[in-house]
Amino acid sequence: MALSKLFEIPPHITEDNFEEVMHQAIALELATIPTYLSTYYSIKRAQDQDTVYARVLSQLPAGSEALAEQMTLDILVYANKSAAYIMSVVIEEMLHLALSSNVKTAICQKAPELVKIATKVKFPTQLDGHRPEFPINIDKLSLEQLTVFLQIESPNTFVDPGQPDEPDTPGTPLDYTTIGAFYDMIIAFVKKHYPGPYEPRPQLLPDQPFYGQNSINTVYYDRNHKPQFGSEDDSGVLRHVVDAPTAVAAMEEIIHQGEGRVNDDEAYDKLEFDKNGLPVPLPVKNGKVQFKPGDYDDNTKDHKGKKELSHFGKFMEIYSLGVHYQEKFKGYNMKFFDELVYNQTVNPKQSEYPEDTALSMASKMGNALFTYIILMVETCYYKDEDTQFKVFMYGIHKSMIWLLSEFGNGMNAYTFKRDDTVYEASLTFEYYDFSKDSASPKEQMIRMANELAQLDSNWEWLLTDKTYLLALPDVGLDHSVKPNVPEVPAS
Amino acid sequence: MSDTTNKIIPQFLPPKELHTCMGLNSCENKGFSGNNDCAGQGDCSTVSHPCHVLNECKGQGGCGLFGTTKEFCHPGENACKYQGSCGAPILASRFIVQGPNKGRSVWQLARELFLKRMENQGIVVHKDKLPVGQEYGPTDEFVAARGGSSSCGQSGDRYCSYAFDNRDVSRYKKRQRFVKRSARKMKNTEKNCGCDDK
Repeated sequence: MALSKLFEIPPHITEDNFEEVMHQAIALELATIPTYLSTYYSIKRAQDQDTVYARVLSQLPAGSEALAEQMTLDILVYANKSAAYIMSVVIEEMLHLALSSNVKTAICQKAPELVKIATKVKFPTQLDGHRPEFPINIDKLSLEQLTVFLQIESPNTFVDPGQPDEPDTPGTPLDYTTIGAFYDMIIAFVKKHYPGPYEPRPQLLPDQPFYGQNSINTVYYDRNHKPQFGSEDDSGVLRHVVDAPTAVAAMEEIIHQGEGRVNDDEAYDKLEFDKNGLPVPLPVKNGKVQFKPGDYDDNTKDHKGKKELSHFGKFMEIYSLGVHYQEKFKGYNMKFFDELVYNQTVNPKQSEYPEDTALSMASKMGNALFTYIILMVETCYYKDEDTQFKVFMYGIHKSMIWLLSEFGNGMNAYTFKRDDTVYEASLTFEYYDFSKDSASPKEQMIRMANELAQLDSNWEWLLTDKTYLLALPDVGLDHSVKPNVPEVPAS
Repeated sequence: MSDTTNKIIPQFLPPKELHTCMGLNSCENKGFSGNNDCAGQGDCSTVSHPCHVLNECKGQGGCGLFGTTKEFCHPGENACKYQGSCGAPILASRFIVQGPNKGRSVWQLARELFLKRMENQGIVVHKDKLPVGQEYGPTDEFVAARGGSSSCGQSGDRYCSYAFDNRDVSRYKKRQRFVKRSARKMKNTEKNCGCDDK
């Protein structure tokens, strides 16, 4: 399948192309979200312990009860931990999307064009300009998919053994070797050319309840069923960009959360590939992955000794544990990932799902919801703080936490065929074009929900429960907002 | 008010007051069953909703599982519809997931805030008259007997246990350790929230 390029821009940052460069930065953040979400939804996160135990025991020799208990815990804890880590990264990528959008809005004096970017995000895609380029898929949890995650968040330049060293489009996009290096180039340019202060425009601001570092979905339980938290409390916040120092702070936050705080005098783990073309895992001792100080996104002494792994560190942990458990289960003729991941396939397409079926309509609805979330974020950059609050809390939160997740987790109830093999279905994360219909996006989604409920009564709650889909703010393609909730009282 | 068995208890309808949990009613007969003697003695919530931004009205949001550090300091104290940060009822096993009170009981904080509100209004609450065995908040079994269930979260049943032997005993012990630890830390929990609001 051919790679899809997001767009192409000239090879150097200039004042003339700075807006396009920031467009690229925002596209980069946006493209990672469906990738990570698709993998999150592929995980059987909270399986019934007794069912897993019985299944594992049936695959082991007689008298293996204690081993079956141990391996059941391996499956349950790994699945939950992987999901919690991926969700914690998704939340921070949403934060990065807002941070990079704030920078663009402040310096370019133009709102981010998120919907326009979304029209071009087609999987497989790539991080445009990244050297080396590598395919990014929406796919289930596997060592191969975690390899892609590690490449996205790598703190170091690497050679991808699966791809040619030379870029296939030399000199067109802005060249960078890691996301951190990309932002470093922008930071240097901003410091020199855009000192500020910048004219005020709507941004997503701190001190609003838009982003919570942890939620119950970033929590997992360890082998003793003690809750563990995917993020630290101070792991990142929105920043109001008003001048070069605040713009730099916003972009440094993106770098630190993604790749870790890499000081010159600190050791950190790098992405390196073995002779088989797979990332070299970190050592696992007594069930714990051994890290270096630079793998954390903030390990300075003024943070009271609290540490949080960078995105790269989190992915390296679940990659290394995945290698460890895969080998362990292989010794008993079992496939570790088959025990905790749905039988989904890579880059599913809406066109593969048979028309006029509940599967097709559920997929369409999922794509519409994802596009609507992007439209709502974009709309915030045109609105006052009060409207932003309503759109974010009653629109984006409801859509992300309750509606999209219901479709993300519910698609596996349907199956489809590709090349004569039956797979469990998954969201396709394709742009949904609301402009083809004169009705508002929300009206279109309610109509879709009606059709879906007629095909599968399990979705009737979309129309009968007033607090979900029906309560979303009605956001137009022209960024108009009709709130469907009471006015927020003055404080 | 001492019934902690699993027999089904019907809700008194229509409810006389809408609140998020056991022990958070402001007056006589305003609990779930409508037969409590006094403020703070109701047996369960009179509203029920799954979670974050799904509450119908002011003061009906639980909290703990979705939201911000500041929101987690105000269980049952949201200003408006859809502003609650989590579901109701608030089970004894629900913990706060963000901020300095991370890992501590939501219900116990909600109860402390409720007691302060009652005190400010001059309403007497007999603190020791909660149902037997529910002094640290309603358990899953207690709420289930009243038609409720645990709410929200994709990380699994937070009251379950990975133990293979004596699972019920193990579950009970873990919950008791959690609620007693939260009780010991309550002063600090309140202090953390006070600081956050300044």
